[in-house]
Amino acid sequence: MTGKLFTESTAPEALAAEPAPRSTGWWGMVGFVTTEAALFAVLLGTFFYLRFQHGEPWPPREIERPQLTVPLIMTAVLLPSSLPVVWAERGIRRGQRWRLRLGLAATIVMGLTFLSLQVMEYQTKLREFTFTTDVFGSLFYAITGFHGLHVAVGLLILSWVLAASLRGSFSSHKHERVSLAAIYWHFVDLVWVAILFTVYLSQHL
Amino acid sequence: MTTIRSTARGRRLGPAFSWFGVVGGAVAWSVHLIAAWAVDELTCGAGRATVAGVPLVAVMWVAVIVPALVTAAALAVSALVWRRESAAARQRADRGYGRTGMLGLVGLGANALFLSIIVAGGAAVLVLPVCQP
Amino acid sequence: MTTTSAQAVPRAVAVARLEEQWREQRSLRSWFATVDHKRIGRRYLVTAGAFFGLAGIDALLLRTQLARAGGDVLSPDQYNQLFTMHGTAMIFLFATPMLFGFGNALVPLMLGARDMAFPRLNAFGYWVFLFAGLIMFSSQFLGVAPNGGWFAYVPLTDLPYSLGRNLDVYTLGLIFLGVSTTAGAINFIVTSIKLRAPGMSLNRAPLFVWAIVATSFMVLFALPALNAANALLFLDRRFGTHFFQPDAGGNTLLWQHLFWIFGHPDVYIIVLPALGIVSAILPAFCRRGVAAYPLVVLATITIAIISFGVWVHHMFATGLPSLSLSFFSAASVLITIPSGIQVFAWVATMLFGRIVVRVPLLFVVGFIVTFVMGGVTGVMFGITAFDMQITDSYFVVAHFHYVLFGGAVFPIIGGLYYWLPVLTGKMASEVLGRWAFGLVFGGFHLTFFPMHLSGLLGMPRRVYTYPTGLGWDPWNLLSTIGSYVLAVGLLLVVLSVVLAVARGPRAAVDPWGGDTLEWAATTPPRPYNFASIPQVFGLHPAWDRRTLSRLETDEVLPGHQALLTSELDARPQRLVSMPEASLRPLLAALALLVVVLGLLWAVYWLAIAGVVATIVVVVGWLWPPQLTRAEAEAA
Repeated sequence: MTGKLFTESTAPEALAAEPAPRSTGWWGMVGFVTTEAALFAVLLGTFFYLRFQHGEPWPPREIERPQLTVPLIMTAVLLPSSLPVVWAERGIRRGQRWRLRLGLAATIVMGLTFLSLQVMEYQTKLREFTFTTDVFGSLFYAITGFHGLHVAVGLLILSWVLAASLRGSFSSHKHERVSLAAIYWHFVDLVWVAILFTVYLSQHL
Repeated sequence: MTTIRSTARGRRLGPAFSWFGVVGGAVAWSVHLIAAWAVDELTCGAGRATVAGVPLVAVMWVAVIVPALVTAAALAVSALVWRRESAAARQRADRGYGRTGMLGLVGLGANALFLSIIVAGGAAVLVLPVCQP
Repeated sequence: MTTTSAQAVPRAVAVARLEEQWREQRSLRSWFATVDHKRIGRRYLVTAGAFFGLAGIDALLLRTQLARAGGDVLSPDQYNQLFTMHGTAMIFLFATPMLFGFGNALVPLMLGARDMAFPRLNAFGYWVFLFAGLIMFSSQFLGVAPNGGWFAYVPLTDLPYSLGRNLDVYTLGLIFLGVSTTAGAINFIVTSIKLRAPGMSLNRAPLFVWAIVATSFMVLFALPALNAANALLFLDRRFGTHFFQPDAGGNTLLWQHLFWIFGHPDVYIIVLPALGIVSAILPAFCRRGVAAYPLVVLATITIAIISFGVWVHHMFATGLPSLSLSFFSAASVLITIPSGIQVFAWVATMLFGRIVVRVPLLFVVGFIVTFVMGGVTGVMFGITAFDMQITDSYFVVAHFHYVLFGGAVFPIIGGLYYWLPVLTGKMASEVLGRWAFGLVFGGFHLTFFPMHLSGLLGMPRRVYTYPTGLGWDPWNLLSTIGSYVLAVGLLLVVLSVVLAVARGPRAAVDPWGGDTLEWAATTPPRPYNFASIPQVFGLHPAWDRRTLSRLETDEVLPGHQALLTSELDARPQRLVSMPEASLRPLLAALALLVVVLGLLWAVYWLAIAGVVATIVVVVGWLWPPQLTRAEAEAA
C-alpha cells in the first residue's frame, strides 16, 4: 500500500506537479502574516528567555501566579470566532451575500467580547501589578497588549469588509479582500493560543 | 524508470516529496540548533545537569542525532528527485522537469551541507562537558 | 479586462495607444503620485546615495580626529554621535535601501513584468524610507543623534545611563524604517513568484532575482527581532518597563541576543543582493553565463538560511557554555562553503569566458579581491579562541569594512556604471570611471588594511583619541590619508554619473550585450517596460533569438494590465489590471511620520491623531472598487 503510494508520488510527473496558483494578494498577506508570526515568536522567546535566566521564584517577588478562569473564557470566545469567517467566505463563494454579512457580524461580536473580557482582566490585574512593577508585569502587559492591538486591528479590517459587503462590493467572483481579511483573523486567533500557553498556562507547570 | 504512470493522488503528494528534498535539511538543522542551544544554555544557566530527570548529555545526543537522520532522509529524497527529473527532462522537453531537477540538485547540496554542520557541531558533545563555560 | 484585438489594429497604433495610457504628466502631482517602479528605484538610489555622502562625511571627520595621537578636532560626545550615526546610517539608510533601489528598478524588467506586484505599496515604502532617514539625520544637525554605537548595547543605552532623546531617535527611527523594508521585501517576493514572464520557470530566473528574493525572505524573519528589541528598549526608556534591567528581573544579554539574531543575517541582507549584482554583471563582460548556475542558486539559498544560525558568534566573549557555542561555531565555519562556491563560480566564469575589460568589470574584480580578504579574516572569528583575543579591536573594524565595503559598495558602484543606460539612457565616461576605480580601490585598502595591524597591536575600536607611543600612530595616519583618497575616488564616481546625465552620449540599445530581459527592452525602457509580454525559453532570454523576435511581433498587451503566471513553472494564469498613480501612499507615509514624531516628542495626542489619519488613508486606499453592473447581476 505505502509502496504503491510511494511509487505513484515519486513518478517524474508527480514530483514535478505544480499546485494550483494563488493570487498576488494571497502571497502578500501570507508574507505579512509570516513576518508578524516571527515578531510574536521573538516576543514569546523573550518571555521564556527572561523567565529561565531569572530562575526561581517566578513571577519574581510579590506577583501571584495568574488566575486562569478569565483567560480560558477569553479563549473559548476567540478560538471559535474563526468559524463564522470561514462560513461567510464559503457563502460569498456561492454568491450568498447574507451569509457573508451574518458571518462577519458574528465574528465581530465575538472579537468585541474578547476585547471587553481583556479590559476586565486588566482591571483586576492592575490592582495587583502594573507595567512597571517588575519584569513579569512588563512582559505580561506588553505581550497581551500587543496581541489585543492585533485583535483591534483585525476587528477594524472585518468591520471594513462588512461595510464594503453591505454596500455590495463583493460577488462570487470578486471577494479576494474577504479571503485576505480571513487569513489575518485566523492568524490573530491562533497566536492567542501561544500567548495563553506562555503567559498563563506555563506559569502553572 | 520514467515509464511509471502517476495518479491524481500521486500528483497531490509528489510536490510534498520534492519540497521535503529541498528544505528538509534546512528545517531539521533549524530545529536542531534552537533546541540544542536553548536546552543547554537554559539548563546550565539554572545550575542543573538534567532535564525532567534525563541527563543533559543524553538530551544533547537526541537533539543531534534525530535532526541528522531527518537530514539524511532529505538527502536521499533529493538525490532521487534529481536523478528522476533529469532523466525525464532528457526525454521530454517540459520545463517542469527541468525546474524540479534543478531544485533536486539544490536540495542535494543543501542537505549535504546541513548534515555536515549538524555532525560538526554535534561532535562537540563527545568532547566538551555540557556546562563548561 | 479590455479585449482589444491586435489583429484589428496595426502594432504601431497599439503601441501608440499604450504610450498614451502610460504617459505621466510632468506635473508636481505626478511627481508625488507616481508608482512607476523605475522612477521609485531611481529615487531610492539617489536618496540612499545622499545618505551615503552624509555618513561618509561623518567618517572623514572621525578619521581626521584620529589622524594623530591626542587629536582635538572633535569632543568625546561629538565623536560618539558621529561613529554611531556613521554605522547606523551606512547599514540601515544606505546599504539596504540602495540595493532595494536596484531591485526596484531592475527586478520587474528582468522578469519581463510591467511593474512590481504592489506598485502603490512600493511608493509608500520609498516615502517611509525617506522620512525615516530625514528624522535620523536631522537629529545629527540638532546635536541629539544616537550615541550608543550602531548596535546600541544596553545597559549603556538604557536609563539612567543615556538620558536625552538620542536613543529614542534610534529606536523609533529604525522601527519606522523597518516598515519600509518589510513592505519592500514582501513586494519583491510576490513580484518574483507571480509576475515572471511566461516560460521563466524557477530554473531560468536570473541570479540577481534569486538574490533579492533570498534577501527579502531574510528580512521577513530577521527584522522582527530588531523591531522587537527597539520597541522593548523604547518602553524601558519611556514608560519604565524592566526588560533590560536586572534589578527588576530583566536581563541585559537579551538585547545582544535580539540584536544579533537580526544583525548577523543583516550582514548577508546587505551582501547577498550585491553578490547578485556581480552575477548579473559578469555575463556581459565574459560573454557567457555564470558558471554552475544551480550551485550559485544553492549558495544563495543556503547562505540566507545558515546566516540565522551564527548570531551567537558575536557573543563568544560573554561566558555562555562552550558546548552551546560549538553548534554556532560549526555553522559559522561551514557558511564559508557556499560563499566559496560563489567565488569559484565567478572565477570560473571569467576563466572560461572571453573577458571584455570595462569599468563595471573592474569594480567586480575589485570586489572579488576585497571580499575574499574580508572572508579570510571572517573565518578567523569563527575560531572562538582567536575571537576572544581581538573582540572590540580595530581588527574587527578592518574586517567588516572589507566585507561590507568590499562586498557591497564595490558591486553597487559597478552596478551603477552597468545599469546607468537602463536608469538614465546615458553612458558614463570610461576614462573617468577607470580613474574612479583606481582611487576607490587604492584608497579603500590604504584606509582599512592598516586597521588590521593597529587592531592586532591592541587598539580598541570607538576610542575618540589615543596616546602616542603605543605603535599605533603610523597606521592611523595611513588610514586617514587613505580615507581622503577614497573620498576623492567616490567624488569622481558621483561626478561621472552627473556628467553622464547632464551631457553624456545617449546609450545605444543594449550597450553591453547583457543576458537578462532589462536589455531586451528599449534603453531606457518605456513606462510600460514591454509592449508585449516576453516569452522565455532559457536562462539568457536577451541572448535568445526566439524571445527577441517574438517581442517584436507578439500581440501588444493593452492598458494597465499585467500577466500573472504560476509560482514554479511560470505558466500563464490570468491578466490583472495594475493600479495607477495615487497620492495615497505619500499621505499614508506622512500620517505614519506624525505617529513617529508624536512618540518621539512625547506628544501623545499627536501620535493618536497620526494613527487615526493612517487608518483613514488606508481604508480609502484599499476600499474595493464598485462592482460593474454585469458582475453585480452575476452575483
